[in-house]
Amino acid sequence: MTIKATDTTVILQEGTLRHTLLEKPEFPDYSNVTAMPHFTYYYTEGETIWDRLSLNMTRFVDFCRDDLYLGCYALILRRLYPLLLSDNRAKNLAAYGADTDCMAYRVIQDFMTFLHKGNALTALALSPFSLTAVSPGSCTAMLYRLDACPAPAAVCDAINRIKPGGLLLLYTIKQALPAELTALCTQAQKDNFGSCTLYTLTVDDALMDFARANGSESFILLRAAEITRRVNDLQNLIQAMLAGAALPGDAYFIAVTILQQTEEILLSLYDYLEDDGLPVRANALKESVLNYYVGVCRQCDLTSYREKLTQFSEIFFDAVGKEFPQ
Amino acid sequence: MNKYKMCMIPAYPLENVQLLKDRVILPYVCYRAFGESLRLVTKSTGDYPYLSYLEGAELIPLPEDQSHMEEAVRYVSAHSEEIDLLFLFGARGEYMELAAAYRAARPDGLIYMKLDANIDWANAFPLYDNDFSAMLQSCDVISCEARHLQALLYKKWQRPVEYIPNGVYYPLYPEAETARYEEKENIILTVGRLGTAQKNTLLLLYAYALSFAELKEPWELVMIGSVTPEFQADYDDFCKRFPPLAPHIRLTGNIADKQALYQYYKRAKIFALTSRLEGGSPNVFSEAAIFGCTVITTGVDAADDMTDFGRVGRIVPDTEDFEGFSRALVSLCNNPDYLAHNFHDMRAYMREFFDYERLAERLHVLLELQSLKRRPS
Repeated sequence: MTIKATDTTVILQEGTLRHTLLEKPEFPDYSNVTAMPHFTYYYTEGETIWDRLSLNMTRFVDFCRDDLYLGCYALILRRLYPLLLSDNRAKNLAAYGADTDCMAYRVIQDFMTFLHKGNALTALALSPFSLTAVSPGSCTAMLYRLDACPAPAAVCDAINRIKPGGLLLLYTIKQALPAELTALCTQAQKDNFGSCTLYTLTVDDALMDFARANGSESFILLRAAEITRRVNDLQNLIQAMLAGAALPGDAYFIAVTILQQTEEILLSLYDYLEDDGLPVRANALKESVLNYYVGVCRQCDLTSYREKLTQFSEIFFDAVGKEFPQ
Repeated sequence: MNKYKMCMIPAYPLENVQLLKDRVILPYVCYRAFGESLRLVTKSTGDYPYLSYLEGAELIPLPEDQSHMEEAVRYVSAHSEEIDLLFLFGARGEYMELAAAYRAARPDGLIYMKLDANIDWANAFPLYDNDFSAMLQSCDVISCEARHLQALLYKKWQRPVEYIPNGVYYPLYPEAETARYEEKENIILTVGRLGTAQKNTLLLLYAYALSFAELKEPWELVMIGSVTPEFQADYDDFCKRFPPLAPHIRLTGNIADKQALYQYYKRAKIFALTSRLEGGSPNVFSEAAIFGCTVITTGVDAADDMTDFGRVGRIVPDTEDFEGFSRALVSLCNNPDYLAHNFHDMRAYMREFFDYERLAERLHVLLELQSLKRRPS
C-alpha cells in the first residue's frame, strides 16, 4: 500500500486499487474561520496547508511502511482534515489502542501543530484506566484502534470523552466487527480501502446517551450491584451449611452456580478491581463448597471441610466488603 | 447426573508406565465415578501390562500411517459422537487442531484440560497466538495443580482455572492402610532422579551434614533413585570429606519394585523434597504422604498445598538455602511429638484433599454445570 500526493490530489494505492483521499479545494471554505494563523499559508510564499498535508500523507508511507494500519492512518487524516480546519481554536485530540510511540501519531501531530501551535494529540496507554482518566467531553476527536480493545464499554468510555459535535474515529483491519458494536457502526460514516476500515461517528445527544448507559462507569455500577446481591444470597446459604441446617438437595449446586456467576462477573471487571485476587478467592470458596458437598455425600468427617469453608468464606466476604462497600 | 463417554488423548504416544500416572489415572477415576466408557487413544509404544490395573478402560491404538496427532485428529473427527468428554493433558500446541476438530464436530461436547504446568512453563504459553488462545477458550474446564499457579493464571488469562492437585488413587496403594507410626524409624527419605539439576539433591546431602551434630538421636538419610555420574562423584567426595557421616547415608539406586519402595515409605518418618521446580506436587510426595511421612520441601509451586501452608510439613522457600533447610530438618527430627501427631494429620489431609475419587466428584459437578451451558436451549 502506498500514498501518492500531487498538487491537487492525495491518492491511496495498492496494486491496481486506487482511492482518492482528498482533492485540493479550489475555493477554500472561509465560512467557519474566525482568525488567521493557518489560513494565510494558502496565499503566502511559504508552505501551504495543502503542501503540508501532502507531505504528511507521504510521511505515513515513510514512517509506517510495514504497519498494517497504514491505510487507516491516511483515512483518519482525511476525516480529520475538515475538522482541524473548521475553526481556529486549539484542539485536543486523543488516541487509544496503538503503541504510544506510534509514528503515525507523530505525523498527525506535526500536521496539527502546523495548523495551530496549541493543537495536541495525546496518545493514551493501552489500559481502560487511561480512557476514564481523560476528562469527559474534553476531546475534539478520539482515534480508537478497535482491534486493540473491542469491548463496547471501552468504546463508550471513548465517546464520553468527546465534545458534542466531535468525532470518534474507529479503525480496524479486521473484516468482522464485534457483534455488540455492529448497531453502533451502522450509524457511522464508513471508509475502507483494502483491509483498512474507518468508522467515523459524530457525537450527538443520542450517541452520548447511548455511551453513558453503556460505558464502564454504568457497567461497573451494574455489575457491582449484581455481585452484592449474589454475595448476600451466598452468605445466607453458606451460613446454613456451616450451621448444619437441613438443606434442599440442590442447595450446593445453587451455591456453586452463584459462585461461578460471581467469579465470571468479577473477571469481567478484572481491570477495574482494586483487589485483583477477588476472582481467585471466589474460586477458592467454590472449591471449598464443593469439597464440603463431596464430604456430605460420602458421609465423611466434615471438620476439615467446615474449617476450610469457614476460612475461605471469611476471606472472600471480607474482600468483597472492602471492594464493594455498601 | 449424566454418565459420560470419555476419551483421553495424550499429546505424545502413551508409554506403559504413564498408565498409572496422573494423565491417565484422573480420567480413569472420573470414568469409575461418572463414566459410561473410557477410551485411551494413542499410538502404541509397546505392550501395556499396566492396563490390567485399569479395569474397563479401552486402549485404542492409532494407525501408524501418520503422526500421532494427525491420526488423533482423524480419530476424533470420525468418532466424535462417541465422545462426550475429551481429556487433554497439558496446554500444548499439539492439541490446537485436535481441540478445534472436536469442538467443530461436537459443540455440545465437553473438553477438560489438566494443565500439568509449573510457573515457568505457564509464563511461556504463547497467548499471542490466536490458535493457542482459541484452544484454551474451547476448554470447558481447565485445572492446574498448584494454588500459586492458579493465582498467576487468573492474572494472565482472566478466566476460571480450577485447582485440582495431583492426587492419589487409593486402590493402587492398599499397603498404605497398614502403615503404623510405631513401625517407623528415624529415616529421612528422598526419591527421584538423584543429581539432576531439577532435583537439587546436593541441598539435602549438605543440609543433612549441617544438621548432623545437632540431632538428638541418630537419623539415617536414604536416597532412592537413579544417580547421575556427577552426583555419584559428589557423593564419593562427600564421604571422603565427612567419614563419620558416610555410614548414615545410603544410595539405594533405582527401585523399580513398587512393594520394595513402599516399605521405605512405611519406615521413613520424614520425606525430603529439594526440587528447584515441579509441575504441581510430584507423585513421590503423594506416595510418601499417604504413608504418613512428614514432608519438608523447598518452595516449589505446590509447597503450600503439599503442607497445608506449613501445617502438616515444613517449607524452606529458597532452593539454595542450605542452612535454612538444615534448621528445618533439625527442628523436625528433634520433635518426635509433632512427627507422631503429624503421621495422622498428614494422612487425613491427603485423604480429604488429595483423594482422586473425591477430586473426581468435584470435577463432575463442574463439568455438569458446564454441560448445562453447552446444551442447545
